[in-house]
Amino acid sequence: MTLLRRARPLLGTLVEVAVDAGPDGAAAMHAISEAFALIEHLHARMGFHCPHSDVSRINRARPGAIVPVGADTWEVLSAATSFSAASQGLFDVTIAPLMERAGFLPSEADAPPAAVGWQGLELLDGQRLRLQRAVRVDLGGIAKGYAVDRAVALLQAVGMRAGHVNAGGDLRVFGHRPDAVQVRHPQAPTRTLSLPLDLPAAATSAGYFQQRAWAGTTVLPIVDPRRSAPCAASRSVTVFARDCMTADALTKIVYVAPQQSGPILARFGARALVMEQGDGEALCGTHEDRHRV
Amino acid sequence: MIEDLRWWNVPAIVVPAALCAPAYAMQYLTVEQAQQLLFPQAERFVAAPVQLDREQVARVEGYSGVRLRVQSQPAWRVQLGEATVGWFFVDEVYGKHEFITYAVGIDTAGRVTGVEILDYRETHGGEVRNAAWRAQFIGAGVGDELALGGAIGNISGATLSCKHITEGVRRLLAIHAEAVAARSVE
Repeated sequence: MTLLRRARPLLGTLVEVAVDAGPDGAAAMHAISEAFALIEHLHARMGFHCPHSDVSRINRARPGAIVPVGADTWEVLSAATSFSAASQGLFDVTIAPLMERAGFLPSEADAPPAAVGWQGLELLDGQRLRLQRAVRVDLGGIAKGYAVDRAVALLQAVGMRAGHVNAGGDLRVFGHRPDAVQVRHPQAPTRTLSLPLDLPAAATSAGYFQQRAWAGTTVLPIVDPRRSAPCAASRSVTVFARDCMTADALTKIVYVAPQQSGPILARFGARALVMEQGDGEALCGTHEDRHRV
Repeated sequence: MIEDLRWWNVPAIVVPAALCAPAYAMQYLTVEQAQQLLFPQAERFVAAPVQLDREQVARVEGYSGVRLRVQSQPAWRVQLGEATVGWFFVDEVYGKHEFITYAVGIDTAGRVTGVEILDYRETHGGEVRNAAWRAQFIGAGVGDELALGGAIGNISGATLSCKHITEGVRRLLAIHAEAVAARSVE
């Protein structure tokens, strides 16, 4: 199998799309272009920084307002709600004010105060939302995985037999299953650790390239809603799941509360691997079998 | 409890250094392939590297807020018959660990028509700034000894910032405005 691979800077990272070239290389090239166009469209719909995105419209809406959103945004928000409920709020898309405070998102001087809490978003029929109170939403913890899933579905729909999409560590393969996936070493990010890939999707959350100093410690853009603070950039979490959106969202839950995440992972048919920065050595294990690696 | 997180309470496994593969490299597209993708309607690409004088460098740095390392920029004029329909630039950016070559299409109105990554290289550290280290990659292809083994060299967790590329595109737009758009008005 010859993989045709392309990469573009999208979703705030490098997105790689690869397909089995098959007999018609031009069709494969075209399919990749279509996948990139879809990812760009989803970014425009759900980007925090895009002024006309559904997310920006939600974030500007007043308490009590009813906001119609696109079908794709609706799908992501519905999934987000189920992850929030399953984790008792460890996963939460209304954490944008905390991300702003930590400097991971820009804050507008005239932005009204907004409360953190996923119950502030009520999903109504007809792809509409009601804001129970003023909220600011950031889909950064889930939309990348969703975009990967959608791109894979598109590639399959246009007849691509095999390939993968990798959005900066949010990965899904189809049509074939490589034996292993490389995860970065938490202390030496250009070195990698090879892990078996026994589910089609994987996502990693770790600090390596996104961490920043905050309140005397090094943090990464994952917020612990219980403490209203970003998490220390000390560990690397990889979640393997059946789809990439699930893997993406679950990395946040495992990162915030590894000890509590076992039942949630099991419920979504996922597995996790955590690498912790110890005293000069990297430690790792999975939630179900510490001998797996 | 369905899952017992035993691993968390016992000494976890130390990652052996031997499990760590070395750096990663990937060639995505040739210059010609990127030209076809960014300007499928084009008939010809005429090499027309941009050479900036010192004053132009200062102005480009002023517009873009990005420092220029070199005064010349590989560029191609995109032709459809007698008409110039855009410009195609090849550029490189590097950070502490990564070295990226990419192509940008800019139309006659000065808008970006697309960005494609040509080459992506990763290293452990200082080598990337070293010209000799960089030279070894010239002509390197898919499947060379730098690529990771296995069917597919996926790196999960490669959340490298595309900040450098964003800055690079801003710099190219400024170069286009300063040297190319101005030139075609003459």
